Amino acid sequence: MKIPRIIRHSLLMIGRYKLRTSFMMLGSLIGVAALTFVLSIGQLAQQRILEMVGRVFSDATIVIHAGGGMMMGGPRGAASRLTADDIQAVAKEVPGIADWDTQQSVTLPVRRGDATYNAQILGESERWHRVWNRSTSRGEYFDEIAVRSSARVAVIGETVAQGLFGNDDPIGADIQIGSVPCKIIGILEPWGTDPHGGDEDNVVVVPVTTLMRRLSNLDKIGMAKLLINDPGQAEQMKVQIAAVLRQRHALSTGQPDDFSILTATEVHRVIGEIQRVIFLYLPLVAVVSLIVGGIVSASLMLSSINDRIAEIGLRRAVGAYSADIRLQFLLETATTIVVGGLVGVALGYAVAEIAANRMHLGSANPWLAAALGIAASGVVGLLAGVLPALRAARLEPAEALR
Amino acid sequence: MIELQGVSKTYQRSQNDKVSALINVSLQIQRGEFVAIIGESGSGKSTLMNIIGLLDVPTQGRYRLDGVDVTEFNPNDQANMRNRKIGFVFQAFHLLPRTTALENVELPLLYSNRKSISGLAHKALEAVHLADRVQHRPSELSGGQQQRVAIARALVNEPDLLLADEPSGNLDRRSAMEIISIFQSLNRDGRTIVLVTHDQEVAQYTSRIVRLERGRIVADEIVEESKVAVAQEAP
Repeated sequence: MKIPRIIRHSLLMIGRYKLRTSFMMLGSLIGVAALTFVLSIGQLAQQRILEMVGRVFSDATIVIHAGGGMMMGGPRGAASRLTADDIQAVAKEVPGIADWDTQQSVTLPVRRGDATYNAQILGESERWHRVWNRSTSRGEYFDEIAVRSSARVAVIGETVAQGLFGNDDPIGADIQIGSVPCKIIGILEPWGTDPHGGDEDNVVVVPVTTLMRRLSNLDKIGMAKLLINDPGQAEQMKVQIAAVLRQRHALSTGQPDDFSILTATEVHRVIGEIQRVIFLYLPLVAVVSLIVGGIVSASLMLSSINDRIAEIGLRRAVGAYSADIRLQFLLETATTIVVGGLVGVALGYAVAEIAANRMHLGSANPWLAAALGIAASGVVGLLAGVLPALRAARLEPAEALR
Repeated sequence: MIELQGVSKTYQRSQNDKVSALINVSLQIQRGEFVAIIGESGSGKSTLMNIIGLLDVPTQGRYRLDGVDVTEFNPNDQANMRNRKIGFVFQAFHLLPRTTALENVELPLLYSNRKSISGLAHKALEAVHLADRVQHRPSELSGGQQQRVAIARALVNEPDLLLADEPSGNLDRRSAMEIISIFQSLNRDGRTIVLVTHDQEVAQYTSRIVRLERGRIVADEIVEESKVAVAQEAP
C-alpha cells in the first residue's frame, strides 16, 4: 500500500515545481526530438535510395563512366574519350554481356510555342528502356532505325509533359529542343524524385545519335550501362573491360585510366557508407544531445535538492525510509525526463513528416523512432535520477532539519 | 514512556575536536506528562530532543521508548517508530510549499503501513479547528494557522508522544497562546508532550520543567501551578 502511495505522491510533486520541471523536460525533449527526426527521415531516405538503386543498379550491372577518378563525377562531353565504338568493342570482346546502352546528356531549353522548360536531355540507344528498366506510360520508345538515322523523335518525362502541354495530349506534337524540332512519340512512366532531390521526370530522351549530331556537336559518350549474365563474374569482367578500354585508348602502363568502371560491389559499399551515416553518426549526434539534456536535468535536480533539504528531513522525521526518499527523487527525475521524451517524439515525428512531405519522401513510420526515443529517454531519465536520488537519500534527518 | 539512562552524545568534528552535546543524561518521562526541556542555545536541548525523537542515536547510554529498548534500532526501525509513535512540531513549521493543508497533514500517512488513510487527515485538521482551510496552501495561511497544520500533521497517525521544538518561536503572542492552548488540551486528553524551548515563560504552561546546561540536567522540577493558556478569538 505504501509504494503506490509514494509513486502517486511523487508524480504530484512534479507538477508543483513547474519551472524546474519544464526546463528538465526541455533537456530530453530536444534530444529525443532530434533522435526521432533523424531516424524517421533516415528510414525514408534509405528506402528511397534502395528503391532508386534497385531500379537502375541491379547486381547484374556494370556502369562505365567517361573520365577517371571520382565515381559519379569526372569529365564528360568534350573532355571524355569514351566512344560508342569503345562500348561496342567491349560488348564484342568481353563475354557475358547481355545488353548495353550508351548515354550522353546535356541540359537544353525545351520549347513549345511560348512555353520554355529547362530539362535534362538524355541521348540513349534503342536499348535504353530495357537496360535502364524504364518503360513508357503512353506512346512508345524509339527503335534501332531511329537511332541509326538520328531521327528527330523524343520521349518525354511527366514533368516536361505537364509543363509544356498541361492537359493537351503531347503524343505526336512537335517540341523544339535547343533549336531542333522533334516529334514526341512517348511519355515515360513517372519515377519521382531521386535522393538528391533531382526530378527524374524532368527529362527528354532522344536517340544518342540525334543528341550528338543534331542537338550538339559531340562524338563522345558520357557513360554506358552494361547488363551481364552472371553477377558473380562482375569483378572479373571489370578487369577485362578495363584492359579493352586501355588498349583502345592506347594508355601505357603507369598512365591512369581515363574511365571508371562501377560494379554492384562499389555501389553496395557506398550504400553501406550512407547507411552508416544515417543510422550511426546522425543518431549518435542526437544521442549526445540527449545525454547533455540528461546531465542538465540531473544537475537541475541536484541543485533543487539543496532547496528541499528541510523537506527531506521532514519526510524522514514523519517516517520515510531512506529508500522511500530515493524512490521519490528517482521517480521525479525519470518521469520528468520521460514525459519530455514523449513530447520530443511527437515533435520530432511532426517535423520529420513536414520535411518528408517537402522532399517527396512519403510518410514516415513513427514506431521504430518512437520506441527508440522513449527507451532512450527512459534510460537517460533513470541515469540522471540516480545521483540526485542517492544524494537526497543520504541526508541524515537530524542534520537535514537543522 | 521515555526512559533515558546515562545518555551521552559526542560529535567528532575532526580528529582532535570532539564536542560533547550531552553528558550522562538520565531522564524518565511518564505517559501523560507535559514536560518542558529548557536551556540556552548550545545547552544540548535540541540533541536531547533528536535522541528522544529517534532522529539521532546516543554515543553512550540506553534509551527505552514505551518499554522497548530502541538504542540499537536500525534506521528503518527508527523510521517506523517515528511514524507510529511520535509526532513532531518544529519552530519553522516545515510545511511543504505549494501543497494544500490536507496534503501536508497526509504526509505521515504516506509512509505508514495503514491500508486506508482516507478521512484521517481531515479529522486531524478538524481537531486543530482548521476544517475550513483544508485546501489552502501554506502561503495563504497565517503563521499560527501554519503551525496548527503542522500540529495536525503530527497528530494524524495518533502518536503517543508529541515532540515540539520551539513551536511558538516564530509566532506572535496571540498565535503562541493559541498553539500552547492546543498542546494543553491535547495533554488533558492524555497525550504525552515534550516541549523544547529557551523561553522560561512558555515553560510555565507545562507541568514539569527539565533544565539543561552544557549537556547536563541541572534542574528537574514539577510546576506547582501551571498557567492555563487561553486562546483568544481572532479579532
